[in-house]
Amino acid sequence: MTLMVEAKGVCKAYGGLEVLKGVDLNVARGEVTCLIGPSGSGKSTLLRCVNHLEKHDAGELRVDGELVGYELRGDKLYELNDRQICAKRSQIGMVFQRFNLFAHLTVLENVTLGQMKVKGRSQEAATAKARELLARVGLDAKERSYPSQLSGGQQQRVAIARALAMEPKLMLFDEPTSALDPELVGEVLDVMKDLARSGMTMMVVTHEMNFAREVADTVYFLDAGVIEESGDPRTILTAPRSERLKLFLSKVL
Amino acid sequence: MSTNGDVTVKVVPVRHVGRYVSGAVALVIIAMVVHTIFSKLPTGQYACHGAAPHRSCHPKTEWRFSWDVIRHYFFSAEVFHGVEITLALTVFSMLLGIIIGLTLAVMRMSPNRLLSATAWTYTWFFRGTPVYVQLLLWFNISAIYPQLSLGIPFTSWTFVHINAVNLFNPFRAALMGLALNEGAYMSEIARAGLISVDEGQIEAASSVGLTRRQTLRLVVVPQAMRVIIPPTGNEIISMLKTSSLASVVSVVDTLGAATNIYSQNYLVIPLLLTASLWYLLWTTVLSSGQFYVERHFARGSLRTPPPTPIQRLRADVIGIARKFRPVHDVGVAS
Repeated sequence: MTLMVEAKGVCKAYGGLEVLKGVDLNVARGEVTCLIGPSGSGKSTLLRCVNHLEKHDAGELRVDGELVGYELRGDKLYELNDRQICAKRSQIGMVFQRFNLFAHLTVLENVTLGQMKVKGRSQEAATAKARELLARVGLDAKERSYPSQLSGGQQQRVAIARALAMEPKLMLFDEPTSALDPELVGEVLDVMKDLARSGMTMMVVTHEMNFAREVADTVYFLDAGVIEESGDPRTILTAPRSERLKLFLSKVL
Repeated sequence: MSTNGDVTVKVVPVRHVGRYVSGAVALVIIAMVVHTIFSKLPTGQYACHGAAPHRSCHPKTEWRFSWDVIRHYFFSAEVFHGVEITLALTVFSMLLGIIIGLTLAVMRMSPNRLLSATAWTYTWFFRGTPVYVQLLLWFNISAIYPQLSLGIPFTSWTFVHINAVNLFNPFRAALMGLALNEGAYMSEIARAGLISVDEGQIEAASSVGLTRRQTLRLVVVPQAMRVIIPPTGNEIISMLKTSSLASVVSVVDTLGAATNIYSQNYLVIPLLLTASLWYLLWTTVLSSGQFYVERHFARGSLRTPPPTPIQRLRADVIGIARKFRPVHDVGVAS
Protein backbone atom coordinates (compact mmCIF):
# COMPACT_ATOMS: atom_id res chain seq x y z
CA MET A 1 0.00 0.00 0.00
CA THR A 2 1.45 3.37 -1.03
CA LEU A 3 1.19 6.43 1.17
CA MET A 4 -0.81 9.52 0.14
CA VAL A 5 0.51 11.76 2.92
CA GLU A 6 3.77 11.22 4.73
CA ALA A 7 4.99 13.60 7.46
CA LYS A 8 8.32 13.23 9.23
CA GLY A 9 9.25 15.60 12.03
CA VAL A 10 7.15 18.47 10.68
CA CYS A 11 7.66 21.71 12.65
CA LYS A 12 5.91 25.05 12.38
CA ALA A 13 6.24 28.18 14.51
CA TYR A 14 4.48 31.54 14.33
CA GLY A 15 6.97 34.07 15.62
CA GLY A 16 8.13 32.47 18.86
CA LEU A 17 5.10 30.22 19.26
CA GLU A 18 5.79 26.59 18.29
CA VAL A 19 2.56 25.10 16.94
CA LEU A 20 3.93 21.87 15.53
CA LYS A 21 6.89 20.28 17.28
CA GLY A 22 7.92 17.39 15.04
CA VAL A 23 4.84 15.59 13.81
CA ASP A 24 5.05 12.13 12.20
CA LEU A 25 1.99 10.93 10.36
CA ASN A 26 1.06 8.57 7.52
CA VAL A 27 -2.11 8.49 5.49
CA ALA A 28 -2.55 5.52 3.18
CA ARG A 29 -4.33 5.76 -0.16
CA GLY A 30 -8.10 5.38 0.20
CA GLU A 31 -7.94 5.78 3.99
CA VAL A 32 -9.89 8.18 6.17
CA THR A 33 -7.75 9.80 8.86
CA CYS A 34 -9.23 11.90 11.64
CA LEU A 35 -7.21 14.43 13.61
CA ILE A 36 -8.59 15.18 17.05
CA GLY A 37 -7.33 17.23 19.94
CA PRO A 38 -7.96 20.36 22.00
CA SER A 39 -8.05 23.74 20.26
CA GLY A 40 -4.59 25.18 19.69
CA SER A 41 -3.07 21.71 19.49
CA GLY A 42 -1.95 22.25 15.88
CA LYS A 43 -4.45 20.05 13.99
CA SER A 44 -5.58 22.77 11.59
CA THR A 45 -2.03 24.00 11.07
CA LEU A 46 -0.92 20.49 10.13
CA LEU A 47 -3.77 20.23 7.63
CA ARG A 48 -2.92 23.62 6.12
CA CYS A 49 0.72 22.59 5.75
CA VAL A 50 -0.37 19.60 3.65
CA ASN A 51 -1.62 21.85 0.82
CA HIS A 52 0.98 24.52 1.55
CA LEU A 53 -1.42 27.22 2.75
CA GLU A 54 1.15 27.37 5.56
CA LYS A 55 4.85 26.82 4.99
CA HIS A 56 6.36 24.28 7.39
CA ASP A 57 9.68 25.31 8.91
CA ALA A 58 11.37 21.93 9.27
CA GLY A 59 10.82 18.25 8.62
CA GLU A 60 9.70 16.41 5.54
CA LEU A 61 6.18 16.49 4.16
CA ARG A 62 5.22 14.47 1.11
CA VAL A 63 1.92 14.17 -0.75
CA ASP A 64 1.67 11.24 -3.18
CA GLY A 65 5.42 10.79 -2.91
CA GLU A 66 6.28 14.38 -3.84
CA LEU A 67 7.63 17.03 -1.46
CA VAL A 68 5.18 19.81 -0.55
CA GLY A 69 6.36 23.26 -1.66
CA TYR A 70 9.87 22.17 -2.66
CA GLU A 71 11.68 20.15 -5.24
CA LEU A 72 14.79 18.11 -4.53
CA ARG A 73 17.38 18.42 -7.30
CA GLY A 74 20.82 17.01 -6.53
CA ASP A 75 21.46 17.85 -2.88
CA LYS A 76 19.48 21.11 -2.85
CA LEU A 77 15.84 21.92 -2.09
CA TYR A 78 14.37 24.39 -4.57
CA GLU A 79 11.29 26.34 -3.48
CA LEU A 80 8.48 25.96 -6.01
CA ASN A 81 7.01 29.04 -7.68
CA ASP A 82 3.39 30.20 -7.40
CA ARG A 83 2.30 28.40 -10.58
CA GLN A 84 3.84 25.05 -9.57
CA ILE A 85 2.38 25.24 -6.07
CA CYS A 86 -1.06 26.05 -7.50
CA ALA A 87 -0.89 23.10 -9.89
CA LYS A 88 -0.22 20.78 -6.94
CA ARG A 89 -2.89 22.40 -4.77
CA SER A 90 -5.50 21.83 -7.45
CA GLN A 91 -5.08 18.07 -6.85
CA ILE A 92 -5.87 18.49 -3.14
CA GLY A 93 -9.41 19.52 -2.21
CA MET A 94 -9.99 21.57 0.92
CA VAL A 95 -13.15 22.27 2.90
CA PHE A 96 -13.06 25.07 5.45
CA GLN A 97 -14.75 25.62 8.79
CA ARG A 98 -16.32 28.87 7.52
CA PHE A 99 -17.26 27.42 4.08
CA ASN A 100 -15.52 30.30 2.19
CA LEU A 101 -17.76 30.04 -0.86
CA PHE A 102 -17.09 32.82 -3.38
CA ALA A 103 -19.72 35.31 -2.23
CA HIS A 104 -20.14 37.09 -5.58
CA LEU A 105 -20.77 33.89 -7.57
CA THR A 106 -23.80 31.62 -7.76
CA VAL A 107 -23.65 28.05 -6.50
CA LEU A 108 -23.08 26.77 -10.04
CA GLU A 109 -20.36 29.35 -10.77
CA ASN A 110 -18.63 28.44 -7.48
CA VAL A 111 -18.30 24.85 -8.69
CA THR A 112 -17.30 25.68 -12.29
CA LEU A 113 -14.74 28.47 -11.65
CA GLY A 114 -11.78 26.23 -10.78
CA GLN A 115 -12.63 23.68 -13.47
CA MET A 116 -12.57 26.34 -16.18
CA LYS A 117 -9.68 28.52 -14.96
CA VAL A 118 -7.36 25.83 -13.57
CA LYS A 119 -8.29 22.66 -15.48
CA GLY A 120 -9.13 24.55 -18.67
CA ARG A 121 -12.46 22.77 -19.16
CA SER A 122 -15.09 24.25 -21.45
CA GLN A 123 -18.12 25.93 -19.90
CA GLU A 124 -20.37 23.03 -21.00
CA ALA A 125 -18.10 20.34 -19.58
CA ALA A 126 -17.65 22.26 -16.32
CA THR A 127 -21.38 22.87 -15.96
CA ALA A 128 -22.19 19.21 -16.61
CA LYS A 129 -19.65 18.11 -14.00
CA ALA A 130 -20.92 20.73 -11.53
CA ARG A 131 -24.56 19.64 -11.96
CA GLU A 132 -23.58 15.99 -11.40
CA LEU A 133 -21.75 16.89 -8.16
CA LEU A 134 -24.48 19.23 -6.92
CA ALA A 135 -26.96 16.40 -7.42
CA ARG A 136 -24.64 14.12 -5.45
CA VAL A 137 -24.68 16.54 -2.45
CA GLY A 138 -28.43 17.06 -2.91
CA LEU A 139 -28.34 20.70 -4.04
CA ASP A 140 -29.10 20.53 -7.76
CA ALA A 141 -32.17 22.74 -7.19
CA LYS A 142 -30.06 25.58 -5.76
CA GLU A 143 -27.59 26.15 -8.59
CA ARG A 144 -28.77 29.70 -9.28
CA SER A 145 -28.71 30.80 -5.60
CA TYR A 146 -25.99 32.95 -4.08
CA PRO A 147 -24.17 31.57 -0.99
CA SER A 148 -25.81 34.16 1.29
CA GLN A 149 -29.20 32.68 0.41
CA LEU A 150 -28.25 29.20 1.66
CA SER A 151 -28.14 27.67 5.15
CA GLY A 152 -24.75 26.80 6.63
CA GLY A 153 -25.23 23.10 5.90
CA GLN A 154 -26.12 23.80 2.28
CA GLN A 155 -23.11 26.12 1.89
CA GLN A 156 -20.79 23.46 3.26
CA ARG A 157 -22.18 20.85 0.85
CA VAL A 158 -21.59 23.27 -2.06
CA ALA A 159 -18.03 23.76 -0.74
CA ILE A 160 -17.53 19.98 -0.86
CA ALA A 161 -18.88 19.88 -4.43
CA ARG A 162 -16.53 22.74 -5.37
CA ALA A 163 -13.54 20.78 -4.03
CA LEU A 164 -14.64 17.52 -5.70
CA ALA A 165 -15.04 19.26 -9.07
CA MET A 166 -11.26 19.46 -9.30
CA GLU A 167 -11.12 15.63 -9.06
CA PRO A 168 -8.67 15.68 -6.15
CA LYS A 169 -6.67 12.68 -5.04
CA LEU A 170 -6.89 13.86 -1.43
CA MET A 171 -9.55 15.79 0.47
CA LEU A 172 -8.79 17.91 3.54
CA PHE A 173 -11.58 18.89 5.92
CA ASP A 174 -10.84 21.62 8.50
CA GLU A 175 -13.54 21.32 11.19
CA PRO A 176 -16.26 21.16 8.52
CA THR A 177 -19.17 21.06 10.98
CA SER A 178 -17.93 23.39 13.75
CA ALA A 179 -19.68 26.50 12.37
CA LEU A 180 -23.00 24.72 11.81
CA ASP A 181 -26.21 24.74 13.82
CA PRO A 182 -26.57 21.31 15.49
CA GLU A 183 -29.48 20.20 13.30
CA LEU A 184 -27.44 20.86 10.12
CA VAL A 185 -24.39 18.81 11.14
CA GLY A 186 -25.94 15.52 10.01
CA GLU A 187 -26.46 16.50 6.37
CA VAL A 188 -22.79 17.44 5.97
CA LEU A 189 -21.53 14.31 7.77
CA ASP A 190 -23.74 12.16 5.52
CA VAL A 191 -22.09 13.61 2.42
CA MET A 192 -18.66 12.98 3.97
CA LYS A 193 -19.54 9.38 4.87
CA ASP A 194 -20.73 8.80 1.32
CA LEU A 195 -17.45 10.22 0.05
CA ALA A 196 -15.46 7.95 2.38
CA ARG A 197 -17.35 4.90 1.13
CA SER A 198 -16.49 5.83 -2.45
CA GLY A 199 -12.80 5.34 -1.58
CA MET A 200 -11.64 8.99 -1.34
CA THR A 201 -8.51 9.60 0.72
CA MET A 202 -9.52 12.02 3.44
CA MET A 203 -7.89 13.92 6.29
CA VAL A 204 -10.48 15.31 8.67
CA VAL A 205 -9.91 17.67 11.58
CA THR A 206 -13.02 17.18 13.69
CA HIS A 207 -14.69 17.33 17.06
CA GLU A 208 -17.33 14.79 15.97
CA MET A 209 -16.18 11.71 17.87
CA ASN A 210 -19.02 9.58 16.53
CA PHE A 211 -17.96 10.37 12.97
CA ALA A 212 -14.36 9.49 13.83
CA ARG A 213 -15.41 6.19 15.40
CA GLU A 214 -17.71 5.25 12.55
CA VAL A 215 -15.76 6.35 9.47
CA ALA A 216 -12.07 6.77 10.31
CA ASP A 217 -9.49 4.08 9.59
CA THR A 218 -6.95 5.85 11.80
CA VAL A 219 -7.32 8.54 14.47
CA TYR A 220 -4.46 10.83 15.51
CA PHE A 221 -4.70 12.69 18.81
CA LEU A 222 -2.66 15.90 18.80
CA ASP A 223 -1.81 17.85 21.90
CA ALA A 224 0.51 20.85 22.20
CA GLY A 225 2.01 20.28 18.74
CA VAL A 226 2.87 16.59 19.04
CA ILE A 227 1.04 13.37 18.22
CA GLU A 228 0.18 12.01 21.64
CA GLU A 229 -1.54 8.82 20.53
CA SER A 230 -2.75 7.23 17.32
CA GLY A 231 -4.39 4.09 16.09
CA ASP A 232 -7.62 2.32 15.27
CA PRO A 233 -10.57 4.51 16.39
CA ARG A 234 -12.34 1.76 18.34
CA THR A 235 -9.20 1.10 20.36
CA ILE A 236 -8.00 4.59 21.11
CA LEU A 237 -11.41 6.18 21.64
CA THR A 238 -12.63 3.45 24.00
CA ALA A 239 -9.40 2.46 25.69
CA PRO A 240 -7.04 5.45 25.59
CA ARG A 241 -3.59 4.83 27.00
CA SER A 242 -2.33 8.37 27.59
CA GLU A 243 -3.64 10.53 30.42
CA ARG A 244 -4.11 13.52 28.11
CA LEU A 245 -6.36 11.63 25.71
CA LYS A 246 -8.35 10.28 28.66
CA LEU A 247 -8.81 13.85 29.92
CA PHE A 248 -9.73 15.13 26.43
CA LEU A 249 -12.27 12.37 25.82
CA SER A 250 -13.85 12.90 29.22
CA LYS A 251 -14.54 16.48 28.15
CA VAL A 252 -15.89 15.89 24.65
CA LEU A 253 -17.80 12.64 24.99
CA MET B 1 -59.17 48.98 14.50
CA SER B 2 -58.36 46.34 17.05
CA THR B 3 -60.53 44.02 19.07
CA ASN B 4 -60.44 43.71 22.83
CA GLY B 5 -62.50 40.66 23.66
CA ASP B 6 -65.87 41.34 22.09
CA VAL B 7 -65.53 45.13 22.24
CA THR B 8 -64.06 46.92 19.21
CA VAL B 9 -61.58 49.60 20.31
CA LYS B 10 -60.44 52.45 18.06
CA VAL B 11 -56.65 52.90 17.79
CA VAL B 12 -55.52 56.54 17.91
CA PRO B 13 -52.10 57.01 16.29
CA VAL B 14 -49.54 59.39 17.92
CA ARG B 15 -49.82 62.97 16.63
CA HIS B 16 -46.44 64.24 15.47
CA VAL B 17 -46.99 67.99 16.07
CA GLY B 18 -43.30 68.83 15.57
CA ARG B 19 -43.35 67.21 12.13
CA TYR B 20 -46.31 69.27 11.00
CA VAL B 21 -44.72 72.54 12.21
CA SER B 22 -41.32 71.89 10.63
CA GLY B 23 -43.08 70.72 7.46
CA ALA B 24 -44.98 73.98 7.27
CA VAL B 25 -41.78 76.01 7.76
CA ALA B 26 -40.07 74.04 4.99
CA LEU B 27 -43.04 74.61 2.69
CA VAL B 28 -42.87 78.39 3.23
CA ILE B 29 -39.13 78.46 2.51
CA ILE B 30 -39.57 76.37 -0.68
CA ALA B 31 -42.33 78.76 -1.83
CA MET B 32 -40.05 81.76 -1.23
CA VAL B 33 -37.17 80.20 -3.18
CA VAL B 34 -39.36 79.22 -6.15
CA HIS B 35 -40.95 82.68 -6.12
CA THR B 36 -37.65 84.54 -6.20
CA ILE B 37 -36.22 82.27 -8.94
CA PHE B 38 -39.17 83.06 -11.19
CA SER B 39 -39.69 86.71 -10.13
CA LYS B 40 -39.44 89.71 -12.46
CA LEU B 41 -37.68 93.05 -11.99
CA PRO B 42 -38.72 96.51 -13.37
CA THR B 43 -36.22 97.74 -15.95
CA GLY B 44 -37.05 101.45 -15.42
CA GLN B 45 -38.33 101.64 -19.00
CA TYR B 46 -41.92 101.85 -20.17
CA ALA B 47 -43.66 100.12 -23.01
CA CYS B 48 -46.34 102.25 -24.67
CA HIS B 49 -49.11 101.39 -27.12
CA GLY B 50 -51.48 103.45 -29.29
CA ALA B 51 -51.54 107.06 -30.53
CA ALA B 52 -51.66 110.35 -28.56
CA PRO B 53 -55.09 110.56 -26.92
CA HIS B 54 -55.43 106.81 -26.24
CA ARG B 55 -51.79 106.13 -25.55
CA SER B 56 -51.27 103.68 -22.63
CA CYS B 57 -47.95 102.92 -20.94
CA HIS B 58 -46.85 100.27 -18.46
CA PRO B 59 -43.45 99.52 -16.86
CA LYS B 60 -41.29 96.97 -18.68
CA THR B 61 -40.02 94.03 -16.60
CA GLU B 62 -37.49 91.23 -17.04
CA TRP B 63 -36.70 87.93 -15.28
CA ARG B 64 -34.53 88.42 -12.19
CA PHE B 65 -32.61 85.26 -13.24
CA SER B 66 -32.52 86.27 -16.94
CA TRP B 67 -34.06 83.00 -18.05
CA ASP B 68 -34.25 84.17 -21.66
CA VAL B 69 -30.48 84.88 -21.69
CA ILE B 70 -29.76 81.53 -20.04
CA ARG B 71 -31.91 79.73 -22.61
CA HIS B 72 -30.06 81.46 -25.41
CA TYR B 73 -26.59 80.56 -24.14
CA PHE B 74 -27.47 77.10 -22.78
CA PHE B 75 -27.61 75.73 -26.31
CA SER B 76 -24.99 78.03 -27.87
CA ALA B 77 -22.18 76.36 -29.81
CA GLU B 78 -19.47 77.81 -27.57
CA VAL B 79 -21.00 76.50 -24.31
CA PHE B 80 -21.79 73.19 -25.98
CA HIS B 81 -18.15 72.75 -26.96
CA GLY B 82 -17.14 73.66 -23.40
CA VAL B 83 -19.43 70.92 -22.04
CA GLU B 84 -17.78 68.41 -24.39
CA ILE B 85 -14.36 69.38 -23.02
CA THR B 86 -15.63 69.02 -19.43
CA LEU B 87 -16.94 65.52 -20.15
CA ALA B 88 -13.75 64.51 -21.95
CA LEU B 89 -11.62 65.76 -19.04
CA THR B 90 -13.83 63.95 -16.51
CA VAL B 91 -13.94 60.62 -18.36
CA PHE B 92 -10.26 60.44 -19.31
CA SER B 93 -8.85 61.73 -16.03
CA MET B 94 -11.05 59.29 -14.09
CA LEU B 95 -10.04 56.36 -16.32
CA LEU B 96 -6.36 57.20 -15.89
CA GLY B 97 -6.91 57.91 -12.19
CA ILE B 98 -8.55 54.52 -11.63
CA ILE B 99 -5.72 52.69 -13.44
CA ILE B 100 -3.10 54.61 -11.44
CA GLY B 101 -5.07 54.06 -8.23
CA LEU B 102 -5.45 50.29 -8.68
CA THR B 103 -1.76 49.96 -9.52
CA LEU B 104 -0.78 51.97 -6.45
CA ALA B 105 -3.13 49.96 -4.22
CA VAL B 106 -1.62 46.65 -5.36
CA MET B 107 1.87 48.17 -4.91
CA ARG B 108 0.99 49.35 -1.40
CA MET B 109 -0.03 45.81 -0.45
CA SER B 110 3.05 44.19 -2.02
CA PRO B 111 5.46 42.38 0.32
CA ASN B 112 8.24 44.30 -1.49
CA ARG B 113 8.99 47.24 0.83
CA LEU B 114 10.44 49.41 -1.94
CA LEU B 115 7.23 49.11 -4.00
CA SER B 116 4.95 49.87 -1.06
CA ALA B 117 7.10 52.83 0.01
CA THR B 118 7.02 54.22 -3.54
CA ALA B 119 3.23 54.02 -3.62
CA TRP B 120 3.01 55.62 -0.19
CA THR B 121 5.26 58.53 -1.26
CA TYR B 122 3.20 59.12 -4.41
CA THR B 123 0.00 59.36 -2.39
CA TRP B 124 1.72 61.58 0.18
CA PHE B 125 2.80 64.09 -2.48
CA PHE B 126 -0.31 64.22 -4.65
CA ARG B 127 -2.75 64.30 -1.74
CA GLY B 128 -0.63 66.83 0.11
CA THR B 129 -0.62 69.58 -2.54
CA PRO B 130 -3.63 71.44 -3.98
CA VAL B 131 -4.90 70.31 -7.41
CA TYR B 132 -4.85 73.97 -8.46
CA VAL B 133 -1.09 74.10 -7.87
CA GLN B 134 -0.55 70.75 -9.60
CA LEU B 135 -2.39 71.95 -12.71
CA LEU B 136 -0.26 75.09 -12.89
CA LEU B 137 2.87 72.96 -12.38
CA TRP B 138 2.10 70.69 -15.34
CA PHE B 139 1.14 73.65 -17.49
CA ASN B 140 4.52 75.29 -16.79
CA ILE B 141 6.64 72.14 -16.69
CA SER B 142 8.39 73.06 -19.95
CA ALA B 143 10.21 75.80 -18.00
CA ILE B 144 12.41 73.17 -16.34
CA TYR B 145 12.05 70.33 -18.91
CA PRO B 146 12.04 72.01 -22.34
CA GLN B 147 12.89 68.67 -24.04
CA LEU B 148 11.58 65.24 -23.12
CA SER B 149 13.39 62.17 -24.47
CA LEU B 150 12.79 58.44 -24.42
CA GLY B 151 15.93 56.34 -24.05
CA ILE B 152 18.01 54.24 -21.69
CA PRO B 153 18.35 55.89 -18.26
CA PHE B 154 21.76 57.39 -17.34
CA THR B 155 23.18 56.90 -20.87
CA SER B 156 23.25 59.15 -23.92
CA TRP B 157 21.12 56.64 -25.87
CA THR B 158 17.81 58.24 -26.78
CA PHE B 159 15.22 57.28 -29.36
CA VAL B 160 12.49 59.94 -29.27
CA HIS B 161 12.59 63.66 -28.52
CA ILE B 162 9.47 65.65 -27.73
CA ASN B 163 9.10 69.35 -27.22
CA ALA B 164 7.47 69.76 -23.79
CA VAL B 165 5.55 72.88 -24.80
CA ASN B 166 3.84 70.88 -27.55
CA LEU B 167 3.25 67.85 -25.36
CA PHE B 168 1.75 69.80 -22.50
CA ASN B 169 -0.84 71.82 -24.35
CA PRO B 170 -3.52 73.19 -22.00
CA PHE B 171 -5.85 70.17 -22.35
CA ARG B 172 -3.11 67.58 -21.79
CA ALA B 173 -1.63 69.53 -18.86
CA ALA B 174 -5.06 69.67 -17.23
CA LEU B 175 -5.70 65.97 -17.93
CA MET B 176 -2.30 65.04 -16.51
CA GLY B 177 -2.79 67.11 -13.38
CA LEU B 178 -6.30 65.86 -12.69
CA ALA B 179 -5.46 62.19 -13.40
CA LEU B 180 -2.29 62.08 -11.28
CA ASN B 181 -4.06 63.77 -8.40
CA GLU B 182 -7.07 61.47 -8.74
CA GLY B 183 -4.78 58.42 -8.75
CA ALA B 184 -3.69 59.23 -5.21
CA TYR B 185 -7.28 59.33 -3.95
CA MET B 186 -8.34 56.28 -5.96
CA SER B 187 -5.46 54.25 -4.52
CA GLU B 188 -6.82 54.72 -1.00
CA ILE B 189 -10.33 53.78 -2.16
CA ALA B 190 -9.07 50.70 -4.02
CA ARG B 191 -6.93 49.64 -1.06
CA ALA B 192 -9.88 49.86 1.32
CA GLY B 193 -11.85 47.68 -1.09
CA LEU B 194 -9.14 45.05 -1.46
CA ILE B 195 -8.61 44.86 2.31
CA SER B 196 -12.36 44.41 2.88
CA VAL B 197 -12.38 41.02 1.13
CA ASP B 198 -12.30 38.17 3.66
CA GLU B 199 -9.00 36.26 3.95
CA GLY B 200 -10.98 33.01 3.65
CA GLN B 201 -11.96 33.90 0.07
CA ILE B 202 -8.28 34.08 -0.88
CA GLU B 203 -7.52 30.76 0.88
CA ALA B 204 -10.45 29.09 -0.86
CA ALA B 205 -9.26 30.40 -4.22
CA SER B 206 -5.72 29.07 -3.62
CA SER B 207 -7.05 25.72 -2.43
CA VAL B 208 -8.89 25.34 -5.75
CA GLY B 209 -5.55 25.99 -7.46
CA LEU B 210 -6.02 29.55 -8.73
CA THR B 211 -2.76 31.47 -9.02
CA ARG B 212 -2.26 34.70 -7.07
CA ARG B 213 -3.03 36.78 -10.16
CA GLN B 214 -6.19 34.78 -10.97
CA THR B 215 -7.31 35.06 -7.36
CA LEU B 216 -6.94 38.84 -7.48
CA ARG B 217 -8.78 39.16 -10.80
CA LEU B 218 -11.54 36.55 -10.37
CA VAL B 219 -12.24 36.57 -6.64
CA VAL B 220 -10.82 39.60 -4.82
CA VAL B 221 -11.45 42.49 -7.24
CA PRO B 222 -15.09 41.58 -8.07
CA GLN B 223 -15.90 41.48 -4.36
CA ALA B 224 -13.89 44.62 -3.60
CA MET B 225 -15.97 46.46 -6.22
CA ARG B 226 -18.94 46.56 -3.84
CA VAL B 227 -16.83 48.67 -1.49
CA ILE B 228 -14.99 50.57 -4.23
CA ILE B 229 -17.97 51.65 -6.39
CA PRO B 230 -19.84 54.08 -4.08
CA PRO B 231 -16.83 56.31 -3.26
CA THR B 232 -15.68 56.08 -6.90
CA GLY B 233 -19.08 57.40 -7.99
CA ASN B 234 -18.55 60.30 -5.63
CA GLU B 235 -15.09 60.84 -7.10
CA ILE B 236 -16.50 60.97 -10.66
CA ILE B 237 -19.11 63.53 -9.64
CA SER B 238 -16.50 65.49 -7.75
CA MET B 239 -14.15 65.30 -10.77
CA LEU B 240 -16.84 66.71 -13.07
CA LYS B 241 -16.78 69.86 -10.96
CA THR B 242 -13.05 69.87 -10.14
CA SER B 243 -12.35 69.78 -13.89
CA SER B 244 -13.60 73.40 -13.96
CA LEU B 245 -10.17 74.29 -12.50
CA ALA B 246 -8.81 73.49 -15.97
CA SER B 247 -9.94 76.97 -16.99
CA VAL B 248 -6.95 78.35 -15.02
CA VAL B 249 -4.61 76.73 -17.55
CA SER B 250 -6.72 78.31 -20.33
CA VAL B 251 -8.72 75.20 -21.24
CA VAL B 252 -12.11 76.29 -22.60
CA ASP B 253 -14.35 73.91 -20.65
CA THR B 254 -17.92 74.67 -19.52
CA LEU B 255 -16.79 77.34 -17.07
CA GLY B 256 -14.12 78.59 -19.48
CA ALA B 257 -16.72 79.08 -22.22
CA ALA B 258 -19.01 80.95 -19.80
CA THR B 259 -16.25 83.30 -18.62
CA ASN B 260 -15.13 83.94 -22.21
CA ILE B 261 -18.66 85.01 -23.12
CA TYR B 262 -19.34 87.19 -20.08
CA SER B 263 -16.00 88.95 -20.34
CA GLN B 264 -17.35 90.36 -23.61
CA ASN B 265 -21.01 91.07 -22.78
CA TYR B 266 -20.86 91.47 -18.95
CA LEU B 267 -23.84 89.09 -18.46
CA VAL B 268 -21.92 87.52 -15.55
CA ILE B 269 -24.73 85.96 -13.49
CA PRO B 270 -26.74 84.46 -16.39
CA LEU B 271 -23.64 82.78 -17.81
CA LEU B 272 -22.51 81.44 -14.44
CA LEU B 273 -26.04 80.06 -14.03
CA THR B 274 -25.85 78.51 -17.51
CA ALA B 275 -22.63 76.73 -16.53
CA SER B 276 -24.15 75.64 -13.19
CA LEU B 277 -27.18 74.15 -14.94
CA TRP B 278 -24.93 72.10 -17.21
CA TYR B 279 -22.97 70.80 -14.20
CA LEU B 280 -26.23 69.99 -12.39
CA LEU B 281 -27.57 68.14 -15.43
CA TRP B 282 -24.52 65.88 -15.65
CA THR B 283 -24.22 65.23 -11.91
CA THR B 284 -27.88 64.12 -11.99
CA VAL B 285 -27.17 61.74 -14.86
CA LEU B 286 -24.08 60.36 -13.09
CA SER B 287 -25.82 59.90 -9.73
CA SER B 288 -28.62 57.86 -11.25
CA GLY B 289 -26.07 55.76 -13.15
CA GLN B 290 -24.19 55.20 -9.88
CA PHE B 291 -27.33 53.75 -8.27
CA TYR B 292 -27.70 51.02 -10.89
CA VAL B 293 -23.99 50.15 -10.93
CA GLU B 294 -24.00 49.78 -7.12
CA ARG B 295 -27.05 47.56 -7.37
CA HIS B 296 -25.26 45.33 -9.90
CA PHE B 297 -22.15 44.83 -7.76
CA ALA B 298 -24.18 44.19 -4.60
CA ARG B 299 -25.30 40.83 -6.03
CA GLY B 300 -24.61 37.95 -3.70
CA SER B 301 -24.18 40.22 -0.67
CA LEU B 302 -27.82 41.20 -0.22
CA ARG B 303 -30.70 38.75 -0.11
CA THR B 304 -33.01 41.26 -1.81
CA PRO B 305 -31.60 44.13 -3.90
CA PRO B 306 -32.77 47.65 -2.94
CA PRO B 307 -35.76 48.93 -4.95
CA THR B 308 -35.09 51.15 -7.97
CA PRO B 309 -36.40 54.74 -7.68
CA ILE B 310 -39.36 53.82 -9.90
CA GLN B 311 -40.24 50.84 -7.72
CA ARG B 312 -39.95 53.03 -4.62
CA LEU B 313 -42.14 55.74 -6.14
CA ARG B 314 -44.81 53.18 -6.98
CA ALA B 315 -44.68 51.78 -3.42
CA ASP B 316 -44.99 55.32 -2.02
CA VAL B 317 -47.98 56.14 -4.20
CA ILE B 318 -49.71 52.90 -3.22
CA GLY B 319 -48.89 53.59 0.46
CA ILE B 320 -50.36 57.12 0.34
CA ALA B 321 -53.43 55.86 -1.53
CA ARG B 322 -53.98 53.25 1.24
CA LYS B 323 -53.69 55.95 3.91
CA PHE B 324 -56.55 57.94 2.41
CA ARG B 325 -58.85 54.99 1.98
CA PRO B 326 -61.93 54.81 4.27
CA VAL B 327 -61.24 53.56 7.82
CA HIS B 328 -63.14 50.26 7.57
CA ASP B 329 -60.70 49.04 4.93
CA VAL B 330 -57.64 49.65 7.14
CA GLY B 331 -58.59 47.15 9.81
CA VAL B 332 -59.16 44.29 7.39
CA ALA B 333 -55.57 43.05 7.54
CA SER B 334 -55.68 42.43 11.30
